[in-house]
Amino acid sequence: MTAVSMRGVTKRYGDLTALDAVSLELRENTIHGLLGRNGAGKTTIMQILTGQNVETAGRVEVFGERPYENSRVLDRVCFIREAQKYPDGFRVRDALRSATLLFPSWDAEFAAELVTDFQLREKQQIKKLSRGQLSAVGVIIGLASRAPLTFFDEPYLGLDAVARQLFYDRLLADYAEHPRTVVLSTHLIDEVSDLIEHVVLVDKGKVLIDEDADVLRGQAVTVTGPTAAVKAFAEGYTELHREELGGFLRVTVAGAHPEPQLRSEGLEFEPVSLQQLVVRTTQQHLDDRKVAL
Amino acid sequence: MTTATASDVLATTPARRRRYLASARIHLVNLPLSLGMPWLILGSAFVVNLIIFSMIPTDGVGDRTTGGIMSIYIFTLIARVVSMTQSFPFALGLSVTRRDFFAGLSLVIVVESAAQGLVLTVLRAIESASNGWGIDMTFFGVLFLVQDNWFLQWVLYTVPFLLLSYLAVLFGTVYKRFGQLGMWVVIVGSVLVGGAAAILLTWSRSWGVVGRFFSETAPLTLFAGYPAILAVLFAGVAWLLLRRATP
Repeated sequence: MTAVSMRGVTKRYGDLTALDAVSLELRENTIHGLLGRNGAGKTTIMQILTGQNVETAGRVEVFGERPYENSRVLDRVCFIREAQKYPDGFRVRDALRSATLLFPSWDAEFAAELVTDFQLREKQQIKKLSRGQLSAVGVIIGLASRAPLTFFDEPYLGLDAVARQLFYDRLLADYAEHPRTVVLSTHLIDEVSDLIEHVVLVDKGKVLIDEDADVLRGQAVTVTGPTAAVKAFAEGYTELHREELGGFLRVTVAGAHPEPQLRSEGLEFEPVSLQQLVVRTTQQHLDDRKVAL
Repeated sequence: MTTATASDVLATTPARRRRYLASARIHLVNLPLSLGMPWLILGSAFVVNLIIFSMIPTDGVGDRTTGGIMSIYIFTLIARVVSMTQSFPFALGLSVTRRDFFAGLSLVIVVESAAQGLVLTVLRAIESASNGWGIDMTFFGVLFLVQDNWFLQWVLYTVPFLLLSYLAVLFGTVYKRFGQLGMWVVIVGSVLVGGAAAILLTWSRSWGVVGRFFSETAPLTLFAGYPAILAVLFAGVAWLLLRRATP
């Protein structure tokens, strides 16, 4: 089942095109990684999917309906933003109480557990929390809401490595018990690469990759060796990245697979991490634009 | 399966009703702050005035009316601007629709205005009965707003709360929709329109008409009738602008 579908969605702010005919589909009960650089359009996509913003053109469907001002859809959606605002005077308890009122699947017990895990106190004034603690409040709401579709937009800002790991662990454990659709937007790709099952990479308002993580991992390979041998191997494949050092060449190519028998010619093969793949693909997109200009 | 049960529950709950009530309660989550604050401020103003006026001898000549009651109206105005600049983004962040947010906020505004109007009416009654708190001080009665009929007195206390609340909501919405620039355009625009009207009135020597309008219109129409119409107008414009506002 498809939880989210966008077809040719464009968003313009004046003469700035934030999203340029974006089409994507997010499968139900899957953890999706929404990746891309700052200003790539990730937050705009999530804002449109949660009815906070309105598309200029195109079709947006969440659980089969347009999300804008649609409480049937929004009742099942939770969107945790890095920049989530809380009213002045709110304590941690007030934010959680509001979430209890608004999310039909809210689990108060789970929320209380998470408050302890993240070392928060319910009486704390949200205004006085550190950046990391503030992020923790969002993470707690996002997890305990148990919303069938949950967005985390860079939820880790200011969280230390231990707290981030706690978030990943809790998310994975709770996801296993209560399957739901999770969209994780993050810059720390290496940290979540084991977590995400499907990757959407956006850059400058366009979708560059929309593929399952497993497929992606096997889609590219980095090969190192004598220049002539590497060039011969890379011939015909899409080159994502190239580094030259002395007589040696190191190339990341898409679509190629390791061929161990070529070891005799001095070629070394390495798998490409998700992060490298994302960085290389984005860089290539950048280069294409330069050429086009 | 858990997800299936969750959606089953959803399908059978009257979500619309629950949502706007829940969004109304966002404004009241921190009760001591939202309900206590305005009365704490009004209370301190009252105590200060009580002390000052008890030190001034009653000569039966001077006006012993304070303006202290204004503090609660101004507090309401500020509280509703904050509703738009802070509670609106918060509520939308928790998946509330603009419609449910506005309905919930309106519920809060109407109930709060009526309740605050009622408390002021009661306090005004005590003030009359106690001969101005024993020292001939008029704190809750405002000259032109004083009515003999307690129902009308309540209306006169309540409607300004509605007017100021929706004025604040309108301003807050303009800010959310068009940013600071939009706010300034509205403020400067209002000043210009007001100034132009004043010039026009002076030039055509028609200030008398304005004066007559204010002196001849019944106080109830002037301070409750027209303000009520304005409040509805502000609410309507605010809603239209809010529909495309982002948190």
